[in-house]
Amino acid sequence: MTLISQQGATGTPRGADIAIGGTGAVSGRLRYMIGTLPIYALFFVLIGLPLLTVLAQSVMPALFDPVAPSFVIDPSPLFRAFASVRVDTAILHSLELGAAVGVTSTILGGVFAILTQRFVLPLRWLITPVPWLVFLTPAYLKAMAWVLMMAPNGYLAQLGLLSRPMSDAFFGIGGLVFVHTLSLFPLSAFIIGGALAGLGGDVEDAARLAGARPLRIWLRINLPLLAPALALSAIATFAEVLSDFGLATTIAKTSGFGVLTYGIYVAASDYPIDFPMAGAQSLILLALILTVVMADRLLRRQGSFRLISGRSRTARVYDTGRARWPMALAALLIAVLALYLPMVIIFLRTFTATLGHGLETSNFTMLNVIGALSPGAPASAALVRSLVYATFTALISAGIALILSARLDQAGPNARAVVMGLSIGSIAIPGIVLGFGYILVWNRLPGFRDWPFPHYGQPSLLVVGYVATALPYCLVVILSAVGQLAPSLDDAARLHGATRLTRLLRITLPLVLLSVVTALLLTFIRTMFELPVSQLLIPQNGSPVPTYVVRLLKNDDDGPASALALVAMVTAGGLAGGLWRVAQRFLTFGGRAAKRTSL
Amino acid sequence: MKDFLHSDLALSCRGVEKSLGGRRILQGIDLEVCPAEIVSLLGASGSGKTTLLRIIAGLMMPDAGRIAMRGAEVWSPTRAVPPERRRIGMVFQDYALWPHMTVEGNLAFGLRAQHLPAAEVKARIDHAIDVARLGPQRDCLPAALSGGQQQRVAIARCLAARPQLMLFDEPLSNLDAALREDLRTEMMDLVRREGITVVYVTHDQAEAMAVSNRIAVMREGQIAQLDTPQRLYDAPATPFVASFIGGFTLLPGRAAPEGFHPVGSALMGLTCGGAGPFVLVIRPEDARPAALHPGTCLSGTVRACAFQGRCWRISIQVGAFLLRLDWPEPVEPGSDLNFSLPPERCTLIAA
Repeated sequence: MTLISQQGATGTPRGADIAIGGTGAVSGRLRYMIGTLPIYALFFVLIGLPLLTVLAQSVMPALFDPVAPSFVIDPSPLFRAFASVRVDTAILHSLELGAAVGVTSTILGGVFAILTQRFVLPLRWLITPVPWLVFLTPAYLKAMAWVLMMAPNGYLAQLGLLSRPMSDAFFGIGGLVFVHTLSLFPLSAFIIGGALAGLGGDVEDAARLAGARPLRIWLRINLPLLAPALALSAIATFAEVLSDFGLATTIAKTSGFGVLTYGIYVAASDYPIDFPMAGAQSLILLALILTVVMADRLLRRQGSFRLISGRSRTARVYDTGRARWPMALAALLIAVLALYLPMVIIFLRTFTATLGHGLETSNFTMLNVIGALSPGAPASAALVRSLVYATFTALISAGIALILSARLDQAGPNARAVVMGLSIGSIAIPGIVLGFGYILVWNRLPGFRDWPFPHYGQPSLLVVGYVATALPYCLVVILSAVGQLAPSLDDAARLHGATRLTRLLRITLPLVLLSVVTALLLTFIRTMFELPVSQLLIPQNGSPVPTYVVRLLKNDDDGPASALALVAMVTAGGLAGGLWRVAQRFLTFGGRAAKRTSL
Repeated sequence: MKDFLHSDLALSCRGVEKSLGGRRILQGIDLEVCPAEIVSLLGASGSGKTTLLRIIAGLMMPDAGRIAMRGAEVWSPTRAVPPERRRIGMVFQDYALWPHMTVEGNLAFGLRAQHLPAAEVKARIDHAIDVARLGPQRDCLPAALSGGQQQRVAIARCLAARPQLMLFDEPLSNLDAALREDLRTEMMDLVRREGITVVYVTHDQAEAMAVSNRIAVMREGQIAQLDTPQRLYDAPATPFVASFIGGFTLLPGRAAPEGFHPVGSALMGLTCGGAGPFVLVIRPEDARPAALHPGTCLSGTVRACAFQGRCWRISIQVGAFLLRLDWPEPVEPGSDLNFSLPPERCTLIAA
């Protein structure tokens, strides 16, 4: 889940007070219902019902008892969870890790944002794309690369750069904070960078004219104005860590550092299966996340961001002369640790036979890649399955999001704000909890259990689960794009006699199509590597890429795991990148007039 | 006032009311516009002028009242013609050019939506592009055009649709001051030549005076005065209208049978037939030397003096009030000045 501050889309007057044939409040309310009901229904089936079932399971332990199901409310699983040392430790670990990474990621992301936005840097092209690429790379692959480096027999030890105690220290909270920070700093950099850009140069210029020196300006003007963004960054990364499953199932598991998400996974899928316990831990995790989301809401309601508008002039970029080289190196170091080094490691491991023989010439081989690419091999079968699932998920999610966004246009501005809030809220739900909810609904709930399509254990249900995790993202992207359109564009088309359908197809759709394609491609990449839902809903006909990679890692087959990950990244990234280039080429219209002007 | 559904009226509004969020935005608006007439809605922000415009367009619904165009009712509590069937053209503040369509595409969109024959579409586009002098830009996307060209496209797009009524929503406010006057002249020439009826929203009184046949000065959701620019200038109906127009200043006082007593100044030989609190409207250009009109003399202390080209604009404190005057020679701030006003130019309005 990712909580990126979303501005602009909510509360726009688009579609406000739409006038159609009928008049009066009744038809307005009816239109609102027609516009929003399918959305609420979809949200309920895809997200609400699984979540409700998880909550019900956590307080009604016998709800899905195969022998004597009962609705008796009994908080004993919760007591049992709190009485368990393992669960208590997991809660503490999760909180500890979240708090630490909230701070470190905010610092690293803030430094990165300031370096890249406010200083003249050489080698910029090597630095600026990094946050996006890191953001799109799944956590468990970055974790895998770091394990390959930091293991007692890993690459760094072979190069004599790592002592045994240092390696041991890595497999604990230290290493987890390190890898989480490198993995999540883009989120902080986006949030803080956005606020920095919005800050503009005016307040700073005013301070300079008042005689303040740069350090004083930063401490007394910029930092206080950025405080809400810093807090938001800390909160968002904290929540990210709480719901992370990628590191929980790799480094944390290897280190014996139990966290809540992994506890839920074990209780829900490992023998002996203990649904009430999984429910209780889900409830605890959700309560923690909810607290964080509330804190985020509260912070944003104070409206600190409103002061920072997009209208001020661009800020001054400092040219520090020769000192820009050390600055570039600092930014580059972050980029190398977060992206380039892990990718190189995965690349090296792909083309070597064993980890132990390191970079010896005789150790290089093509076997891993051949295994990932040869038709019929389990790895390539997983790749094909994931490509198919991801394609379906992307098309379905972006398609549904587009239709829902268009319907919302009928319902008026309040509906947009509500659905936007609902989407952002859904993004905050950890994938592992949602996946557990899917097991309960589609494997246990009467009516759903025997439903032929989608069906538990089938790829169809996995795709539905993927859609549930992707749809809120797509809605946020597409709703934001629709909200960015000046309302006058649609008004003008109405006055020219265009019907609703014509306006949708000829005005709105072409102008948001780039966003639709972006949502589609982002969904495609995310789905290729989505881990928690994949882990809990593995279809009987075989694993998709993420679960297969994790299984290979579990069996210490890190060569084939690296090869599959590399091939999947190159395939998915190449496809998505190529398509996006084409879309961007044809779907940008100078942009200027398309943006909302403030009236 | 003509009959509400009189077909000689391009637009008539009766008792139009609108509230938003508990606030009354429009209160009983009556407005009639004759064919080929240009009527401005002039008011400060929040006066309801844009709301009224959007209600006329059909983009917003009133709460009560009736609206008709050319004798056909387009809105009443029981009937609402949607905007797409009202045949209204609108030039938006941001022009609302569809950024993914060329100039020609923008012009053609509405015509094709109405399923006009291809030959008709082409003829109308050719004419509109011709009169708006957009020939060279015909295949450009809006983003490639200058602000002035974008405005001409917005107008041409309306012209091509041959609307019954054209609405302008502060169309000059996005342009820089130097361009504004030229474009205003050009734009209104175009509209007058095509004989189109216009309702024009602006907050700039000079702009309203320059473009309109009549101006409706709006305040807090009501029309304070609806009149020709000259009448508004010569005989503002209320102190509000007077203060909104032409840089006038107001001098409060009491009217009595023997004359007008400005607060804190000597009696002036002005009668208005009424008695009680009144204000004297002072147009800057009316100030004369004291000797010229001894019966309507005022005196005060000059606070500021600024050269304006043809004259000096002075701020003079008369009693407790600052007045604006145009004076033929510079006056040192701090010195006293006596001046008079021609009695026939003095307007007294009940306060």
